[in-house]
Amino acid sequence: MYDLTSVLEFDALSEVRPGSSILISGPAMSGKERLAYDILADGLRKDDGAVVVTTGDGAGSVVEEFRSLVPDLDDSQLGVIDCRGEGGTDEEAIGNAHAHHVSSPGDLTGIGIGITKALEGLHNAGNEQGRLALVSLSTMLTYTDKKTVFKFCHVLSSRLDSAGYIGVFTIDSGAHDDQTLQVIKQAFDGMIDVRDAEGGGREARVLGLAGEPTDWQDI
Amino acid sequence: MSDSDLPVVLIVEDEPDVAETYKLWLQQEYEVRMAQNGDEGLEQLDADVDVVLLDRMMPGLSGDEVLERIRERKLGCRVAMVTAVEPDFDILEMGFDAYLSKPIRSEQLHETVDNLLDRSEYDSLLQEYYALVEKQATLEATKSSAELAESDQYDELTQRVAEMRDDLSETLGGIEDDSDFIATLRGLSDDEDN
Repeated sequence: MYDLTSVLEFDALSEVRPGSSILISGPAMSGKERLAYDILADGLRKDDGAVVVTTGDGAGSVVEEFRSLVPDLDDSQLGVIDCRGEGGTDEEAIGNAHAHHVSSPGDLTGIGIGITKALEGLHNAGNEQGRLALVSLSTMLTYTDKKTVFKFCHVLSSRLDSAGYIGVFTIDSGAHDDQTLQVIKQAFDGMIDVRDAEGGGREARVLGLAGEPTDWQDI
Repeated sequence: MSDSDLPVVLIVEDEPDVAETYKLWLQQEYEVRMAQNGDEGLEQLDADVDVVLLDRMMPGLSGDEVLERIRERKLGCRVAMVTAVEPDFDILEMGFDAYLSKPIRSEQLHETVDNLLDRSEYDSLLQEYYALVEKQATLEATKSSAELAESDQYDELTQRVAEMRDDLSETLGGIEDDSDFIATLRGLSDDEDN
């Protein structure tokens, strides 16, 4: 079981089953990516492997980010799939971290190969469990349609399930129509909703992982 | 045309003895078609074919070329490449769904064909599941929660979505294998092109 309560204090997150995938949904600039990275950093501190699929930050800056979040980071616990379609060769090593470049956020086969290599690398480095973050589905949705993204999420969840990993996926709730959001949600075991609180700061709630939806709480 | 309800397997193999052996192993469970080279293979190929066993090294059209033509025709059949060497990830990118290293044992052949048929089943279930989810999402996006609570249609739909979700996880029991994972993802991109 994965305990995410040191990142977000919700009882529903104290025992997250391996294989679960969680959608982190919220408007732009509400700290979704931060939250996803924090969940991975928390895992890295507990010796879990971490895989980041990024459509925004470059592989180099992702590795830098995790080095600052986890000061005694062992790079070999980290794999990055950089889907921006920039950066030279397919593969590069950043320290001991494994980075894989994919031609575009719409190249699902390429992303799959990158994830496969990352999972294999982490497995060989002795990581028995781990966490994957995909940031963000909203970018993928601009490259391909919701049907394909839904299926991709379903297939990836199934792969994570057999690896015993958990997955966190971010989506910008303001960037898509209700119907698209409703469709995408169905591909996940649970959801963390994030929003700006009225008096400043941020609030979150958890839906679908354990028991009834929680109330909004400050985070 | 298919005379039976059995899944159809097309064997494309230039060595008659080898092809005959595969046929003997498979003919109880599948309708088997045979082709001695790439050109014949493409002639025998139609929408009824579920799985192609494709020898990579053949005189005339190579297995790689045949595979490319099969993908161009977008028939949706599964292709197992029969190779003499163990392929690396790069070869997975080529577009086949499974590989078999020669020499092949009977058990291995059955397992591969079954697995490919399961995956086709998973793809069509996933397709069906998506259609239901989309209907449900449309209702949720357009009706109030009070309206949804009163709707028998919505209730029924929600139940079917839950059932299908279970079916899906049972069908494949998870995507265990790297080549399964990548082949399934490649299938999604192909769907999108259609």
